[in-house]
Amino acid sequence: MRYTLAFEDADPEDVDLLGGKGAGLARLVRLGLRVPPGYVVSTAACREYLASGALPDGLFDEVLARLEQLEARSGKRFGSDRDPLLVSVRSGAPVSMPGMMDTILDLGLDRRSAVAVARLTGSTAFMADLVARFHRMYAETVLGVLDVHDGADRVARDVAAGDDPDAAFAAVWAACDAAVAEETDERVPTEPVEQLRGAVEAVFRSWNTRRAKTYRDHHGIPHDLGTAVVVQAMVFGNLSADSGSGVVFTRNPATGEPLLYGEFLAASQGEDVVAGIRTPDPLPGAMPAEAFAELEATCRRLEREQGDVLDIEFTVERSRLFFLQVRRAKRTPQAAVRIAGDLLDEGVLDLAGALGAVTLDHVRQIDRPGFDPADVAAARERGDLLTTGTGACPGQVSGVLALTSERARELADAGHDVVLARPVTSPSDLDGMIASQGIVTATGGSTSHAAVVARALGTACVVGASDLDIDVAAGRVRVGDRVLAAGDPVSLDGASGEVFAGAFTRATAASATDVVRRLLTRAGPVTGCRVFARVTLPPQVEPARARGATGLVTAVDDLLAASGRLEKLVQTLMRQGRVTRAVCEELEESVVVELTPLLREAGDLEVGVRAVDFLSDDARELMQQTALLARFPELSMPVGAPDLLRAQLAAVTRAAADSGARAHLSVRHLRDPAEADALRALRAQLPGAVPVGAYLTSPRAVSHLASMVRSDELAWVEVRTVQARMFGIPARQLLTQQPLDDYVRRGLLADPRTVLDPVVDSLFAPALAAAPRSGPDDDSPALGARLSGRVSAPMVGALYRLGLRRFAVEVDEVRPALLALGQAATGG
Amino acid sequence: MTTTLPTPGHYDVLNAVVLKQMAVGAAVSEATGVGLDDVDAILAELAGAGLVFMAGDSALPTDGSAPALAEVAALRYAALRSDPAVLAEVDRFEDTNTQMLATMTRWQTVEVGGRQVPNDHTDPAYDEKVVARIDRLVQRLGPLLDALAAHDPRFALYRQRFDAALDAVDSGRREFVSSPTHDSVHTVWFEFHEDLLRALGRARTE
Repeated sequence: MRYTLAFEDADPEDVDLLGGKGAGLARLVRLGLRVPPGYVVSTAACREYLASGALPDGLFDEVLARLEQLEARSGKRFGSDRDPLLVSVRSGAPVSMPGMMDTILDLGLDRRSAVAVARLTGSTAFMADLVARFHRMYAETVLGVLDVHDGADRVARDVAAGDDPDAAFAAVWAACDAAVAEETDERVPTEPVEQLRGAVEAVFRSWNTRRAKTYRDHHGIPHDLGTAVVVQAMVFGNLSADSGSGVVFTRNPATGEPLLYGEFLAASQGEDVVAGIRTPDPLPGAMPAEAFAELEATCRRLEREQGDVLDIEFTVERSRLFFLQVRRAKRTPQAAVRIAGDLLDEGVLDLAGALGAVTLDHVRQIDRPGFDPADVAAARERGDLLTTGTGACPGQVSGVLALTSERARELADAGHDVVLARPVTSPSDLDGMIASQGIVTATGGSTSHAAVVARALGTACVVGASDLDIDVAAGRVRVGDRVLAAGDPVSLDGASGEVFAGAFTRATAASATDVVRRLLTRAGPVTGCRVFARVTLPPQVEPARARGATGLVTAVDDLLAASGRLEKLVQTLMRQGRVTRAVCEELEESVVVELTPLLREAGDLEVGVRAVDFLSDDARELMQQTALLARFPELSMPVGAPDLLRAQLAAVTRAAADSGARAHLSVRHLRDPAEADALRALRAQLPGAVPVGAYLTSPRAVSHLASMVRSDELAWVEVRTVQARMFGIPARQLLTQQPLDDYVRRGLLADPRTVLDPVVDSLFAPALAAAPRSGPDDDSPALGARLSGRVSAPMVGALYRLGLRRFAVEVDEVRPALLALGQAATGG
Repeated sequence: MTTTLPTPGHYDVLNAVVLKQMAVGAAVSEATGVGLDDVDAILAELAGAGLVFMAGDSALPTDGSAPALAEVAALRYAALRSDPAVLAEVDRFEDTNTQMLATMTRWQTVEVGGRQVPNDHTDPAYDEKVVARIDRLVQRLGPLLDALAAHDPRFALYRQRFDAALDAVDSGRREFVSSPTHDSVHTVWFEFHEDLLRALGRARTE
């Protein structure tokens, strides 16, 4: 045979020939699973069809010959009036793409076989349903009919189990035909063999739908690749009491609990479960005992062999277990982390495998802060639970109440967290929804426009809170006898649908993060890395420590900006017109006041303090940068105003002594060994001063690394800024979506936000090799990488492979960074 | 036509501003098919009448915008509101709209062990099924758009906007399914729904 392969003869690796679905089924057969028999019409046949516009000579003879083999293996006959064989026909391209023909189930029904189905299942109603479903699927996928057969479905639904099968078939088929006739002159073939021919050709045809072509154009997929066709015997879970169908996960995909999790519905087809016609029973218990034992043993074996949690669809036909589909199970972030840890403990996965099974986003989602359950309980006690609507997008948020889109935008622009409440939502509310942290609507369900928009934005949302009487004109919300005014604090839980009066503080629940800690603790010793967290205020220290930070970094400009002292300092400078003793004293006192509590909280954590950077993007407006630098051009040079550096060095030294903490001062933008020496000379003038270090931001600085840093200093390099300078892109554009999103998508650049550029890599590699080592017992270069914004696994991996072992990241990114380092260290 | 909205172009431009809330002339022109120069002239007149507020290049609606549209729609679409061909398709639209929103939800969330979790788009076969369904539901809008366009050709423009969004999706830009900050399928659908309700003189129920 030239064009077709039985599942058991096919090589699962040959995806190009078999397509994705065919290869998947061949793989199941290789795994030793009982799969309903079937065969693949290869992509070679499709390629000939595409070239000539007609089915290749001899192809259909082969299709029919393979069908005979199926009949022999299953003991059933296609179109038979005794024990009819029905088949499914699916498209299967080597690459999943849009526009391809969907599945047709139950193909092979004509009057005689339909009557036989009614007799075998003992139900004319089931047969009528099957016929209507097949007819609809065929009409939609092969004939391209758009309308659903509503009228025909009604005819099928009216058929009772005991009706005469002959008459019922005729009535349902006629009703279906009538529905199709409204749209096209074509008809669904009544002969099973013609149905098969039509379906195979439709699969080939679907290769050239507009959508498929567009997709291939944009993804550079060759137009002559072609698709395969999978023809497979149907098995029936509704033939007898010892038949049924179900789905099983090898572990609970919501919690990760290591128990089989699934559903089984006796005497039913899989579609009944999907359509919600009947409620399935939880596993185990509902299945025939022998079939369940086989399922359980198979699950255990497959999980070990595949090293992953699997999602398995199966049917039991007269006590025989058939596997329809085995896939990697989707899972919640919590489950993903727990499963990875458990599989590691069980020896199914090694550390590399376990760390590779978790993504940085999983860890971020678990770290997402929420309300303290005790606060929520107290609020309920106080009667602050206003109402419970439908949770439409999860998230626990507090904010000030806004009743119009415009007001939400104004409040957000003024720096408030906003909860927008609307009676109904229209497109004109979009801007307010974008500006808000939370959205509540009085109407609508979990599939309303508001819910769709909220989920697209990732904004916490409660819909259908019908108890809320929202009076937009009066600026009031009434709930029972309680009245809230616009501007009042409110809170909502987008998962539970609860809406509260008042605000809650948010924190990451310890219980949720224990599993993360367990996994990352295993990774820590392997990486040999230290991760510093960026903090500004004392309350940020504990979360940083809890996430596994072994050090902290902070910046004097951030410390002073947070307390309003930066603006005052700049005013003093401008007023005095030069760097006077008064200016230096104000700076020194300000830093001591703001830094001491932070260092006290830091305890045994090393703290890197960066001196004020008068060129900083972030504090540009607060510092009146343009005016300030026009008056004091020397401030744009790192060692341009030594007195200010001396004041900060004195301040950090005093704060460290007062608090007993370990700290060092680094100066941004140093780019020459002479500057580093000048900084050291300043330090030498101050007895007992904390260590100083360079903070590199330019390619030049990196290339002079060996002569700029010393083993006993803690120097840093700001990767984003160096990368931006290499590209000639403003560094701030590496923290925003645009303009790079569109640019990267057009293929004009590899994303400099997530990938270390080869040119930057070739700058770092020799510089780091020549750099002093961190210490006698530590062979890593005496340099830490400062990463801003979200860390990316490829970037962290590249820096790790360059030998860097010290990193500084935002507090929320400590765990993602630890995971990325673990993945890099284990070769993931 | 009332004196405040002397031409269909005035209605179309104001309608677009109300739907978009904050729109520059080019976006209004794209959504209405009215030429850019005419849009600018009409916006200036509407601003003079207090029906839009210009903030730089952007037009924003005022408190008077929606009532003015409602008043004019009652006259302009009187025939449309009683056209049985339109009304029959509108009835079907209710069902299509429900299905579209449910399908958008399936695009955004997947069920995992009985919980709805965000779709991380790592299963191309699942995503493709959902997009295929969205595509079909958009096609089902065809007869309604035809029936509406028979009264006001402007409604035919929605087809181009849907096609552009679906093309973007097929070229791999997933945000063109439901992102509210793009002219995504859902954004166009949401605007069409609102526009339809205004033409029919009906209130939104959710």
